[in-house]
Amino acid sequence: MLKSEIMQKFVSIVGQNRCKTSKEDLMTYSYDASILEFMPDAILFPISTEEVSQIMALASASNVFVTPRGSASGLGGECLAKKGGIILSFTQMNKILEINTENRYAIVEPGIIISDFQKAVEKVNLFYPPDPGSATVATMGGTVMMNAGGMRGIKYGVTRDYLLGMEIVLPSGEVMKTGTITTKDVTGYDLTRLICGSEGTLAMATKITVRLLPKPKARRTLLAIYDNIDDAGKTVAQIVAAGIIPATMELMDKTVIKAVEEAFHIGLPLDAAALLLIDVDGDADTVEKQSPLVADFCKGQGARNVRTSSSEEENVQLWTARRAAFGCIARLRPTCLIEDATVPVSHLVAAIKKVIEISDRNRVQVAVLAHAGDGNLHPLMLCDQRDKEEMVRVEKAMDEFVAYAMTIGGTLSGEHGIGINKAKYLPQQLSATSLRMQRALKKVFDPQGILNPGSFLEVCPQ
Amino acid sequence: MIPKILQEEVYNCIKCGICMNACPIYKQLNVEGASPRGKVQLIKKIQEGSFEATEGFRNLLYTCLLCETCTVNCPSGVRIDRLLKYMRADIVDEFGLPWQKKLFFNLMSSDRLLPFCMFWGRALGNPLLSLLPKNGKAGTIPYSKLPRLNSRTLLSQYPEIIPADKSQGRVLYFPGCATNYLFENVGHSVIKILKRMRIEVIIPKDQKCCGLPIFMSGARKMAIGNIMKNIGVFNRYGHVDAIIVDCATCGAAFKEEYVHILEEMGEDTEAAQKLHNKVMDISQYLTRVNLKKYLHHIKAHVTYHDPCHLVRSQKIKEEPRALLKQIPGLEFTEMAGADVCCGGGGTFQLDHPEISEGITRNKVQAIKETKANIVASGCPGCRLQINGNLGNEKIQVVHPIELLAKAME
Repeated sequence: MLKSEIMQKFVSIVGQNRCKTSKEDLMTYSYDASILEFMPDAILFPISTEEVSQIMALASASNVFVTPRGSASGLGGECLAKKGGIILSFTQMNKILEINTENRYAIVEPGIIISDFQKAVEKVNLFYPPDPGSATVATMGGTVMMNAGGMRGIKYGVTRDYLLGMEIVLPSGEVMKTGTITTKDVTGYDLTRLICGSEGTLAMATKITVRLLPKPKARRTLLAIYDNIDDAGKTVAQIVAAGIIPATMELMDKTVIKAVEEAFHIGLPLDAAALLLIDVDGDADTVEKQSPLVADFCKGQGARNVRTSSSEEENVQLWTARRAAFGCIARLRPTCLIEDATVPVSHLVAAIKKVIEISDRNRVQVAVLAHAGDGNLHPLMLCDQRDKEEMVRVEKAMDEFVAYAMTIGGTLSGEHGIGINKAKYLPQQLSATSLRMQRALKKVFDPQGILNPGSFLEVCPQ
Repeated sequence: MIPKILQEEVYNCIKCGICMNACPIYKQLNVEGASPRGKVQLIKKIQEGSFEATEGFRNLLYTCLLCETCTVNCPSGVRIDRLLKYMRADIVDEFGLPWQKKLFFNLMSSDRLLPFCMFWGRALGNPLLSLLPKNGKAGTIPYSKLPRLNSRTLLSQYPEIIPADKSQGRVLYFPGCATNYLFENVGHSVIKILKRMRIEVIIPKDQKCCGLPIFMSGARKMAIGNIMKNIGVFNRYGHVDAIIVDCATCGAAFKEEYVHILEEMGEDTEAAQKLHNKVMDISQYLTRVNLKKYLHHIKAHVTYHDPCHLVRSQKIKEEPRALLKQIPGLEFTEMAGADVCCGGGGTFQLDHPEISEGITRNKVQAIKETKANIVASGCPGCRLQINGNLGNEKIQVVHPIELLAKAME
């Protein structure tokens, strides 16, 4: 619990209205999109860099834990007050400060929602490619701290690839700039990209500068239906090997198809074993040439049907449905744990087989969703967190799958982050030296350990 | 205690957060407790017994437009609106209603009080209304833009049965309080069109307020009399082709809410289910007939706003647009975000004018961008809210049926 005189000082920074401490407030800031819950002692809503800086200065002077939070759509407890203390919610610091069309960059505050930002830049024919499934929920600040990936990763990369610079507030309260507004910049250590993906453990971003692309002139969505999930996986590997780079290649298995169709009624075939949702974008010419080529690859690998969307409206409908897949799954079982181990794309078919084999053996109901183009698997473990015995089996299946991904050169987490759920696996991928270096880095930024305490490095076995 | 049929709902929320950016309130406040996800999680804690309905929770529960945007956007299919409506009823059972609402709802649910007040309201209220300070407001609506009461109630202006020559059909018409007391031209328009189509119209004299404003506030027990009375009235006339409503809210009450409320109160739902099957919005009913030959040219530019109670509660989206597009000469422009709540939410705009205002500002902006000089909407609440927030814009706010009737003149 926070001492009331310290609390008073925090209130004096943001005012009574932007400080919440009632039971219902604390409870609604105790969760994210995982099954974890931790109660904070207070929630503050800063609206300026100044306020964030003052809050941190006071927090370090009085040794108060602070955990930054965006929309809390994360899947591993990264933005939860794991050791209590203050939640710093950036949702009211959500303005677009500048969209520069001449130099193609934008500066935003951390609380803006990705899809709102994307709409704004698309109005002036620009394009911010990072496209996590949760784009209509997640904030720019949150996705920068998590280095979110998403569906367009195969062609456009991830959040880190668009980050030019930041204004950050250190745990001490000091304000610092990283990066620039130019696309090239090799001045000093690249702190921008170090902080990006740090899961909010090093510093907090108060301004974010991102690079933008010209908006692709055309796009087309292809929907390929398969009777065999292996064929879908093989198609992806072949397209990648052939040097074609679609904007997205999403794979859904029959369970996901069923849940999505139940929610959206968009005419997905319920008897299919899998489907691929592929976006081709670029100039009208390129799209015109590439989409039949991609369709041929699908058919050649045994797709029983390939449908090419006829309008942007249909594209949007299909992608809205894909975006909601995680939520749709809750129609089948109350709890869904989502894995995101990522494998080299040439191992995709084998990895999907392995997921199914491991789940069957542990009697865990699994649905497979994947950003297939970049080997980013999302096995969805369907369960009910109220059933303790089932949860043990689910955990065991996850352990086995992670161990498998390690043997084929994969990574623990492609885009969701480590949080506290996956921290126990860290030593399987990171050497003792690597972990020591990471801990040392944390110490440089946050010597008192007040920023986002209880995070992955602390939970990870020593 | 939350009824059995709703108990599993809270566990289906996977907390993905898709409802948050869909929620007009959350978008204004950016505070988790005001979001649908936040409310569902608190209800879960109440259900599990680890949280009690604090005053703060009760406030959050009423910081909601009941626009149902969260429910239709929820990929997990959680019936969020039903949970919230039920919780309101639970809260009112335990803590009662604020006195202003109690007074108002007593009025709406009583048999004699309402006509009595309407009489004095007309005699004194209308003149008094013009004495109110010019810059004063009821919620977000300036006094000068509050509607005047009808000179006579609509029900008293027509016989119970309006027969039709060579009748092409037989319908029961439920004008609802707004048409009966405030917007009589909507009622005249409905009746005129039905007469022209040679449809026999029955207007039961003893119909009562649908009760929706009462039970949406949580006062289900107060509303049960209205519900039972209306169900009885509607079943009295033998076969009719449809029960016609001109108000999105009354339609939502008859088609959705009556069944849900009775179900949750453990009552028999058979009669309500029958009513559900018979009720049609006027726009729905009219798309079944060919009106073209009756319609004259109107030179105007219109846009259409989707009321929550039509587009989400009743899934009626295309029908009103189709009606408007049939009128020759009438230019139609779709506004951006036509199905986004206007921010009125019945009495919400009175309780939370500061939140309401921000939401309505976006709606008015979208209307202005169409350059239309008329905005049509089948909900009296939306029309009040939009009209009240148009400022000095010369934009007329009407029910689509009024334009249709005008085109038939």
